[in-house]
Amino acid sequence: MSPGARWSRHAPVVVSLLAGAALWELSAHFTTRAFWAPLSETLASLVASARSGVLMRQATSSLGLYLSGLTVAILVGAPFGVLLARVRALRIALENYIMMLYATPMVALIPFILSMMGFGFAPKVLVVFLFAVFPIVYNTVEGARSIRPELIEVARAFRSSEWRLWCDVMIPYTLPFAMTGIRQAIARGLVGMVAAEFFLSPSGLGQMIMMGSQNFDTPGLLAAILLIVVLGVCLMDLGRYLERRFAAWRAYEC
Amino acid sequence: MNDTTGGERPRIVMTGAGKRYDALQVFCDIDLDVGEREVLAIIGPSGCGKTTLLRCIDGLLALSAGEIRIEGERMVAPREGVAMVFQHFGLFPWKTVFQNVAYGLKLAGCPKAEISARVPKYINLVGLAGFEGYYPYQISGGMQQRCGLARALSVEPRVLLMDEPFGAVDAQTREILQFELLRIWEMRPTTMVFVTHSIDEAVLMGDRVMVLQGRPSRVHEIIAVDLPRPRDRATLAMPRFAALRERVWGALMDDARRAEFEVKR
Ligand SMILES: Nc1ncnc2c1ncn2[C@@H]1O[C@H](COP(=O)(O)OP(=O)(O)O)[C@@H](O)[C@H]1O
Ligand SMILES: [Mg+2]
Repeated sequence: MSPGARWSRHAPVVVSLLAGAALWELSAHFTTRAFWAPLSETLASLVASARSGVLMRQATSSLGLYLSGLTVAILVGAPFGVLLARVRALRIALENYIMMLYATPMVALIPFILSMMGFGFAPKVLVVFLFAVFPIVYNTVEGARSIRPELIEVARAFRSSEWRLWCDVMIPYTLPFAMTGIRQAIARGLVGMVAAEFFLSPSGLGQMIMMGSQNFDTPGLLAAILLIVVLGVCLMDLGRYLERRFAAWRAYEC
Repeated sequence: MNDTTGGERPRIVMTGAGKRYDALQVFCDIDLDVGEREVLAIIGPSGCGKTTLLRCIDGLLALSAGEIRIEGERMVAPREGVAMVFQHFGLFPWKTVFQNVAYGLKLAGCPKAEISARVPKYINLVGLAGFEGYYPYQISGGMQQRCGLARALSVEPRVLLMDEPFGAVDAQTREILQFELLRIWEMRPTTMVFVTHSIDEAVLMGDRVMVLQGRPSRVHEIIAVDLPRPRDRATLAMPRFAALRERVWGALMDDARRAEFEVKR
């Protein structure tokens, strides 16, 4: 791509980001400091908390929680999804519950988890897990169920054992569908993380937001929100990348 | 009982073979031997049970009457020495051409060194050299079926089962592939059962053409194809080819016309 072409493609993005930043900066001069602060002060607050080490500590705590919940969700959700697809009776028995839980706004369960498990680290991981696991299960089941019977027949014609059938056919076929679920789980897990940090024992970036709000430290509050936004955007990109990476062949299916 | 050509020992023996799916009797009373170096073409209208019969021969499906033996052994499950080429190609979309061709060898427990020697040989044989690293969705239908053919040939089967292998490719590619297959068969003649619904293809490929007909399907007629081998494009121009073509056409048509004008009740 020539530099000119690259510029004309990226120019609108750059311009819109700069305009957004300018609007943020300027609008703060016409609103009250109680709920809005200019971008420059927000960034300054971000730098200050980074210098003091608070930012690093809180971000690490949040990420630790997030990754724990997400990892458990993937490790439980994907195998469970394949199992459900393969064992018909189990699927029929649990289908309705999974649909119900998938449709339930998980925030509604938080008070219940609080009274059951209290304020430790485990209940918070459980919240992230619950937010993340259902899209993984759901997409994996749908994927494994849609496997083309011809491919299983090919495996049988070449005298595949059940174990090889799983390794050579079931798992590779289901992987891209599981990745779609994982992409959704990446986004929902982040919501779960903030919710857990708000409603269970305050910690991490959620705690930074709450403290900013309680102390009328608007720049600090906005800094934490900005950080979560950036984190979300990066994770979404990562999810999309992973999905594409594993799903190249799906173009062939449809 | 029908004699096999050339008085060889039969490799496939079908006796009273019948298959029903619950209420639907697909075919019955199929008695036929296929010789060691014989190509049996099976032709019949679509839905008459050609795929079902081929699956039974391969041992993927159980018969509901009679039996099918290959090399004396009753076919109750797929066995070594028999390979199938599928109408829908049956390639794994996440595997490259090389990996797809290697699939059968891998399952057969072939050592790595032998796989990496044998796979290129068969990729060359079907004319796919240079495409080893491509995925099925990156190559044409004709090339995909070449890959399916290489996968079946690579296990060096003594019986090759072909289920309308060229039914899903365009007419021109189909002709090219027919002559390629004849060339490959000529190099290593084996037992082949070739299912098709193209009359030309049946006559061009087969030493005999078995016409299936009726509901349930039965062997309506077996037509010996006395065209010389090796066969090639010139075969199509022979007067004998045209005559045999007409015979198969005639055998198929009495039924097809009846079916076309059948009133659904
Ligand atoms: N698994 C199955 N269960 C019930 N009926 C089937 C099944 N597979 C095929 N059939 C029926 O058996 C008949 C023969 O099918 P098939 O062998 O695919 O025919 P062909 O290959 O000659 O087109 C068709 O009427 C089809 O609907
Ligand atoms: Mg068929």
